[in-house]
Amino acid sequence: MVVVILAAPVYLVKATSLQQASSEGQAIFAQKCQACHTIGGGRLVGPDLQGVTQRRDLAWLKGFIAAPDQVLASGDPIATQLLAEYNNVPMPNLALSPAEVDALIAYLENPTAGGAANVPPAAAPVGAGDPARGQALFSGQVRLQNGGVSCIACHSAAGLPALGGGALGPDLTQVVQRYGGEAGTASVLASLPFPTMQGFFATRPLTPQEQADLLAYFVWAGAQPAPQPTTTPVTWFWAVGVGGALALFAGMALFWPRQRRSISEQLRSRG
Amino acid sequence: MNVRAHMSMLFHLDKCIGCHTCSVACKNLWTDRKGAEYMWWNNVETRPGSGYPTQWENQEHFQGGWEFKDGKLRLRLHSRAAGLLKLFFNPALPSLEDYYEPFTYRYQDLFNAPAGDDQPTAIPISMITGEPMEIKSGPNWDDDLGGSNIYARNDPNLEDVPAEVRAQLDELERVVFNYLPRICNHCLNPACVAACPSGAIYKRQEDGIVLVNENRCRAWRMCVAACPYKKVYYNWSTGKSEKCILCFPRLETGQAPACAHSCVGRIRYMGVLLYDADRLPEAAMVPDEQLVDAQRDAILDPFDPEVIAAAKANGLGDDWIRAAQLSPVYQFVKVWKLALPLHPEYRTLAMMFYIPPLSPVVSVIEDGLFRLDLSDANHDFELFHRLSAARLPVQYLANLFTAGNQEIIRQTLVKMLAVRLYMRRKTVDGEVDEKLIKLLAEAGTTPQEAEAIYQLTTQPTLEERFVLPPYHREMAVEAWKDPLAHKGEAGLGYLQVPRRGE
Repeated sequence: MVVVILAAPVYLVKATSLQQASSEGQAIFAQKCQACHTIGGGRLVGPDLQGVTQRRDLAWLKGFIAAPDQVLASGDPIATQLLAEYNNVPMPNLALSPAEVDALIAYLENPTAGGAANVPPAAAPVGAGDPARGQALFSGQVRLQNGGVSCIACHSAAGLPALGGGALGPDLTQVVQRYGGEAGTASVLASLPFPTMQGFFATRPLTPQEQADLLAYFVWAGAQPAPQPTTTPVTWFWAVGVGGALALFAGMALFWPRQRRSISEQLRSRG
Repeated sequence: MNVRAHMSMLFHLDKCIGCHTCSVACKNLWTDRKGAEYMWWNNVETRPGSGYPTQWENQEHFQGGWEFKDGKLRLRLHSRAAGLLKLFFNPALPSLEDYYEPFTYRYQDLFNAPAGDDQPTAIPISMITGEPMEIKSGPNWDDDLGGSNIYARNDPNLEDVPAEVRAQLDELERVVFNYLPRICNHCLNPACVAACPSGAIYKRQEDGIVLVNENRCRAWRMCVAACPYKKVYYNWSTGKSEKCILCFPRLETGQAPACAHSCVGRIRYMGVLLYDADRLPEAAMVPDEQLVDAQRDAILDPFDPEVIAAAKANGLGDDWIRAAQLSPVYQFVKVWKLALPLHPEYRTLAMMFYIPPLSPVVSVIEDGLFRLDLSDANHDFELFHRLSAARLPVQYLANLFTAGNQEIIRQTLVKMLAVRLYMRRKTVDGEVDEKLIKLLAEAGTTPQEAEAIYQLTTQPTLEERFVLPPYHREMAVEAWKDPLAHKGEAGLGYLQVPRRGE
């Protein structure tokens, strides 16, 4: 009796803490994972996470969630296989703390504990998007409403003028195909979970209309014929390099005799 | 009226004996360093001669100074746009050969040479590469017209001197030379300041000294090319420009610059000039022949109550005004009008002044004997009335000091001759006759003035030659420091404070 009375609060505390962790995990999932993953909603950009805690070894799972880039870089076979399976879109490092990882795993173990049984893809506002407006948003001709930086600053895509966009982020021409179709891309656009982008877009999200327009533009861009990668033969580089150097030397030879002789030398040579 | 003070030096060329003591004093004090071997912030040139760097006055070649064209003053070196284009390649820059390759001798060879039949010699080595070299020129290579006449013959100032006068300078019996000591002219309209793309050169307001801020200097070397006197030098070791600083650390402690202080002939005078900064544009933008007068007009009378009031309004203290009143430079430049700037046609408004040298009468050869080109009567007065017989052509001096205006040179020389005749008569004969008084009047002077000129020329005391105003550094320090804390350091504070624990 005494034991039961003493043990009861301990049990209660444990139960509450589990529940708390689980609900925290849900929040994190909604914020950082939902863009690419569902729980029981099917594949999106990344795999459906229903029952992932049973499918994978717990330690591996923790390590992968905490630092997917490192796991992948270490040549882990599961990670490599997943990457190949999911259009070579690597999972970004979301900079989660160990406590956050634990909370996520607690949530993934029992996603129904918080109430919602099944997490569908993030609300995808796949309404009527206007590809032309999407391109204008991408290229910065129209400003993003919440003050986000235009995509062109870091990304390139088909249909841009000659110089293309920035090279910091990947080319987004084929993004719809890579991210598992329109639904996946839409969910990514909704939260832009990549750490580099989060730094800016966490506080300046895209509006639903902007998301729809951009998605329409990406769909249009993906349908364009793939740009032919311009391969220049190495010999060309050699020809231009050597030819240019020779031209410079020729120019120098032309001007070299015009270099001034010092006056005292001139005086001495004149006698 | 915007009255400012300027520390100016005056060179009495009639007294210079060309001993180079000034150059050596300056060298020892300032430029005896790596990268500065070839620099002579002070140098003494023999004239006629090509100077150092060779033919520095040849502005066709070196592009120094200002050009006055279509009512506008432009740097001869380049416009702003052209300067940007030539930023990395400036063809007007003097090369090391234009100065000379600095050399020393391998003195150790004298001691280490193995036993042999010959005397060991110390071979010359380059101070830049350390390799043995053949000496081709030096900073005073044509000293005393030594060696060859190619340098003297190619003096740019001889260009418009009549051919027969030039030929006369070549004859051994008629040869003549004088000395020209040169330092930075600390110009009122400095071309080096105008040409610096980094804004590293500035003119101190308090005494007009032009200085290079080496922290801002980015080694573009436009100043080297733009200075018509070639008195900014590039230190190849530190990668910064350097120039004469008018020994400001000495001035600030009440001492004359080292070159002036060490001068054996006591040819140098140092004093304050007050000038009107508002009048500088018009002083720099007049036709060549009016340049000297325009610059004299910009120099103000320190006794004029209006000038004194304006000077005080500009923050000049009583002691600086008093120094300006006692200034020997003011006397020679403005009151007696004997001193002239070097090459005013460069329009930089040079603030170092020169009293031109007198020269003897040309001699002629008759029956194998030399005879001075004088009439038999009135030997004394001969040159006075016939300056064309002076060995140094007036046109030559005019090219040096008055932008070609011979009239000003004539007035100056005549006045100096008048003083000389007057004092000679007075000391030798003990009396002065009417004729001499008339001659003085003709030269535009009076017995009193002649006496004063004589006094300051021949018998000045140290305090009369160098009238240095107090710089009040002990008060200036209050601007950024607690004077009592400063006192604790006795003026020897840290340049870089050591940090604890390092």
